[in-house]
Amino acid sequence: MLKPSLDDLIKSSIRSILKNKGRTILTSLGIIIGVTSVILLTSIGTGLKIYITEQFDSLGANTIFVAPGKIFDDNGGFSSSGGGAGRFISTSFSLEDISNLKRSLRGNTIVPVAVASADIKSPNANKSEVSIIGSTYQYGASSNNLPSAGNGRWFTKEEEDKKDAVVILGNTIANDLFPSGNALGKKIIIKSKNFRVIGILDAKGGSFGGPDVDQYAFTPIGIAFNLVGNQKVNQILIKTPNKDLVAETKLEVEKVMLKRFEEDAFTVFDSSQLLNSINSIIGILTIGLSGIAAISLVVGGIGIMNIMLVTVSERTKEIGLRKAIGAYPRAILIQFLIEAVILSCIGGFIGVLLGWLGSLAINNFFPAQVTLSSIAIAFGVSAIVGIIFGVAPARKASKLSPIEALRYE
Amino acid sequence: MIKSPSPKNSPVILELRDVVKTYTSGNTQFNALDGVSLQIRKGEFVSITGPSGSGKSTLMHIIGLLDNPTSGQVLLEEQDISHLNENEMAKVRNVTLGFVFQQFNLLPKTSSLENAMLPLLYSDVPKPAREGLAIEMLTKVGLDQKLKNTPAQLSGGQQQRVAIARALINDPKIILADEPTGNLDSKSGTEVMKLFHHLHEKEGRTIVLVTHDPELAQQANRVIIIKDGKVSTENK
Repeated sequence: MLKPSLDDLIKSSIRSILKNKGRTILTSLGIIIGVTSVILLTSIGTGLKIYITEQFDSLGANTIFVAPGKIFDDNGGFSSSGGGAGRFISTSFSLEDISNLKRSLRGNTIVPVAVASADIKSPNANKSEVSIIGSTYQYGASSNNLPSAGNGRWFTKEEEDKKDAVVILGNTIANDLFPSGNALGKKIIIKSKNFRVIGILDAKGGSFGGPDVDQYAFTPIGIAFNLVGNQKVNQILIKTPNKDLVAETKLEVEKVMLKRFEEDAFTVFDSSQLLNSINSIIGILTIGLSGIAAISLVVGGIGIMNIMLVTVSERTKEIGLRKAIGAYPRAILIQFLIEAVILSCIGGFIGVLLGWLGSLAINNFFPAQVTLSSIAIAFGVSAIVGIIFGVAPARKASKLSPIEALRYE
Repeated sequence: MIKSPSPKNSPVILELRDVVKTYTSGNTQFNALDGVSLQIRKGEFVSITGPSGSGKSTLMHIIGLLDNPTSGQVLLEEQDISHLNENEMAKVRNVTLGFVFQQFNLLPKTSSLENAMLPLLYSDVPKPAREGLAIEMLTKVGLDQKLKNTPAQLSGGQQQRVAIARALINDPKIILADEPTGNLDSKSGTEVMKLFHHLHEKEGRTIVLVTHDPELAQQANRVIIIKDGKVSTENK
């Protein structure tokens, strides 16, 4: 049987730690900072993943994209060169591809996307080089970008066919062009031509370097073709009737596209594939950053070792006394080890608390979410740090000769 | 000062047979104890005295089971304990000996009660019984009103009495007091010595008092004088 019993040891350790509250906090500071930063960074990584997953879910799991160039490498990550950045720019699709796809994939919605760039003027403001997305009457529904009730509508098939001068504005650009509000129904000028604003999109928020829908203007595809001066399609969106058909449809799309393009010249992918790639990158980044933050846990551990060595010197007489009255070496070893572990667990606890509060604060302007596993890991790591860096001082204490220790001044 | 009669026929608790303790420093060897033989009987009040450097402290360490002799035998109730390992020695110290030190050696910022209970942490005494025992011992030394006080709130004499309560708590076979009055004024010193006499006379405790002060040593009913690592005189 362990003597003293574990609860006696823990009680007396806590008591001796509380006798030096200021020192305890200072000693734990390294662990506190380390755990706080690990919790914060992992919470940001987790929050980011959840946010991006939600964004992709809003697109729908039954969406297939066809884009130029080779986007993914063979391992599912993003291709660094592969099929080539050159092709990424040079390849584009045409309306012929759209009709080929429509012919082979009946029952699916095929939406071409053409991107142009132009200056937009309103009576109140000028915006230069706005991205103008030209697409079909089905794009709004397919990409989950329909104006909400009261904010207008998407353009119709007739408007698309007649290349009517109608435009749907992203939320930010609408506010920029009409700072006093209510852009709906107003006139704007794109390349010296009048357009009518028929819809305004809800704010979607930035998407971390990716396309920001809030900054875009949407027109019938023929308008975008006219603005660019050619009929190049930059991306194709395909909606399958349900998500079980995605895999099979992707193969069919590839077959169609391969008739006109080389294998590396285009990529057919669905949202889950893109999501996995982005999430794996975020995962690696999170681990890397947390690893750097974890260095301060090691520094914190050294701080604990340092203060425990001081404690052992300070309490030499106590150790001598305990030995004289019957403490065997292992009892002393365990006592000081437990003190070190409790010291670092206090740091871990405060760190978890600060990290959690911090991530709540960050969550107001950036997605952040603390997971139970990150708390468990941070806490476990700080306990392990306590053990590793507590062993040396505890061994020193347990090896003191009682005679020398009692004589120590 | 009244001396209680020496219990000449009571059993021997601790016996040293031809104990030698050699310290080596570099090439020179030095015998701190050079063939010491002595017996301590149950219920005796023995003092060990001698000038500094006489080997008095080394003898105390051997009797206190804090150190092993280089040669010779130490018998505790006729059992040879001279070759026990560190853990076994700690166990024997815990149940057999009660230490009282010159410096009191109480844990700072810790109540009298907790200080008196300390040896029980390392013993087989069940937890619920511990506090009662500590209160009993502190009452015995006259500190039942100071259970919650920390050493800083106690006078030197009171601190030493807490230390005596701590020494008594495991019902030891021998109380080993090393200059117990060395840090006290004469009044508190006298009170502490009175307490030792009380424990000896009324409870039949075996007490070994180590002191350099010949006058104090004379209060015991047997004085062992150590000189140059040898027993020079035993006054009976």
